[in-house]
Amino acid sequence: MTVRTRRVVVGAALAACALVATSACGTTSENSGAPKSGGQQSAPKKCGKDGSYTIGMSQANVAEPYRQRMDDDIRAAAAGIPQFKVNFADAAQDNSKQVEQVKTFLTQQIDLLIISPNEATPLTNVVKEAFNKNIPVLVLDRKVDGDAYTSFIGANNTDIGKQAGEFVGTKLLPSGGKIAEIRGLAGSTPAKERADGFQQGIAGKNIDIVATADGDWLRDKGQAQADAVLKAHPDIQAIYSQNDPMAEGARIAATNAGKPDLKIIGIDGLPIDAGGIKAVEAGRLSATFVYPTGGKEAVAAAKTLLVDCGKVEKTQTLPTRLVTKENAAQVYAEMNKQG
Amino acid sequence: MTEQTKQGPGPSTVLDPELKRTRGTDLVSIVFRFQSVFALVVVFIAAIVFSPVKNGDLVFLDPDNLFGVVRATSETGILAVGMTLVILIGGIDLSVGSVLGLASVGAAVLLVNNDFGLVPAVLIVLAIGLVFGLLQGVAIAKFGIQAFIVTLAGMQIARGLARIWSGGQGITITYGDGANQAPLTFSLLGERTFNGLVPIPALIFIVVAALAVVLLRVSAFSRHIYAIGGNEKAARLSGVPVTRVKILVFGICGLLAALAGIVHAGQLNFGGPNDGAMYELDAIAAVVIGGTSLTGGRGSVVGTVAGALLVWVLRNILALNNIDSNIQLLIIGLVIVLAAGLQRFRPESAG
Repeated sequence: MTVRTRRVVVGAALAACALVATSACGTTSENSGAPKSGGQQSAPKKCGKDGSYTIGMSQANVAEPYRQRMDDDIRAAAAGIPQFKVNFADAAQDNSKQVEQVKTFLTQQIDLLIISPNEATPLTNVVKEAFNKNIPVLVLDRKVDGDAYTSFIGANNTDIGKQAGEFVGTKLLPSGGKIAEIRGLAGSTPAKERADGFQQGIAGKNIDIVATADGDWLRDKGQAQADAVLKAHPDIQAIYSQNDPMAEGARIAATNAGKPDLKIIGIDGLPIDAGGIKAVEAGRLSATFVYPTGGKEAVAAAKTLLVDCGKVEKTQTLPTRLVTKENAAQVYAEMNKQG
Repeated sequence: MTEQTKQGPGPSTVLDPELKRTRGTDLVSIVFRFQSVFALVVVFIAAIVFSPVKNGDLVFLDPDNLFGVVRATSETGILAVGMTLVILIGGIDLSVGSVLGLASVGAAVLLVNNDFGLVPAVLIVLAIGLVFGLLQGVAIAKFGIQAFIVTLAGMQIARGLARIWSGGQGITITYGDGANQAPLTFSLLGERTFNGLVPIPALIFIVVAALAVVLLRVSAFSRHIYAIGGNEKAARLSGVPVTRVKILVFGICGLLAALAGIVHAGQLNFGGPNDGAMYELDAIAAVVIGGTSLTGGRGSVVGTVAGALLVWVLRNILALNNIDSNIQLLIIGLVIVLAAGLQRFRPESAG
């Protein structure tokens, strides 16, 4: 019995070890030999065409297609730069876990950090820690507090909400009307900004938001909320959904409620099969707005910093784009051209 | 209450496994009692073997890295200690993650928005956790509703309270003496001590675990816990105040969840209404890996501490080797199943 017991315990550990061993136990590039530069915080410890560089990419979560696409964009862009190796970490929407993962990156002595923070404040300190170690930090999509980072790359959620509002007010319901809003996760910054921006967009346009509901960014939750909204307000003429998956859910709810033609707009415009652009092309959504992931731009910035020894702008605001049935196929093709 | 009075009417072997446990000294029973300690040692050695090397040093053994692991373990660990007590009486507490979120919001609101001093704010938040746990305990012990159901409801209620209290938005904690600033001492939770090495959250975890170990070794309360988990009916018949002990155990679990929430807020400078989601499952995993039986009556805090450490050492070494996060989930899942499976071989006589 004793022997058997031991064997099981050892076996468990060995199984874990074997799985570890299947991946390369590679070390990151040797860089601690380089002298630490003193005053200039944002300068990387080393740069140049001949080096090899490990980039740590800390993602808030990969459960959302949008964020999976961000990782994919980074992977694809980095594949074109032979000096780059990218390590990915998924924080699964957990602030604490993301802090831990960035700290692990620092232990691994990465050469550059790309981070899309789950939330700003909890990640601020660890981002600062990296920045103060002369590791360039590119913040994607969601910001951190203060200015201890190299560059922020992202689109503007308030602006995209505003564009959505203006579109509803001028194109979708030019003579005004009643609409419902399906929001993202309560308490998340983009949910607030996309709501605030929308309010600005419809200001003075005779658009009445008669119902708002939290869909937590999820398709099924969006459907359930739209179901309830349509029962309570059968007279609404359109639904503004803060992302495409919830908009797709709302479409199902509208069809079930006998309103297959209800106007529904979303946000994100992912250029993937299950994304919003295809949904617009197929006529399920009236429109969506492309919210770029910034993945390609982040790798370009990393190349400028590490390979070209150059400088990057502190803030890089990415343009958004309206997608309607007329341009959907074209936008889809363009966005996947260089992917 | 002495051993003798307790062993009167009921079947003593079931009634007092703790007494028996301490006498079981053969190798088999020791291995089973501390399976997670042995497994932790094995995983630790494996982590050394598979550690990436940087400038001739093992990255895993870098003190910064090791203390990072301990720091990361501390929140799971504090929750898991409370969870151990609950599971020992044959219960479960699914609310601890949400209570952690509620407490982190509470700490932030009281310190920042309401400008409370450190001590009153911390005491109020701890009291909220304690009362929340006690109320769940009352629903379970007095009204006989299953712990799973009560704490499942508690999980939703605490999350709802956290979102209402915070107004739906996370609350940033800034430090200083001014209005709407938290006392600087609170930021120590994100700091280190002892030559800048040991993280304060880890110290708190160690103290909590040590207190729990002592509690489960010396007190009558401890014998009551093991007795209830072993056979509740027999315990009741032999005069153990079952209802009171159960309520108290859930109260302690809630209190520790609130403590973990305070630590959480201090480390992140943030009260997050959505924080702590799924932490209850991490805590349960640590308890199960630690060898505590989900049917109650058998297990130890030492095992749980090792279980929590094992999970985080494993996560750390997998991350250091850049293993894909989905594969990490798979490996941790396999370890949980293996640990639970091991218990099947545990000889009954070895208790």
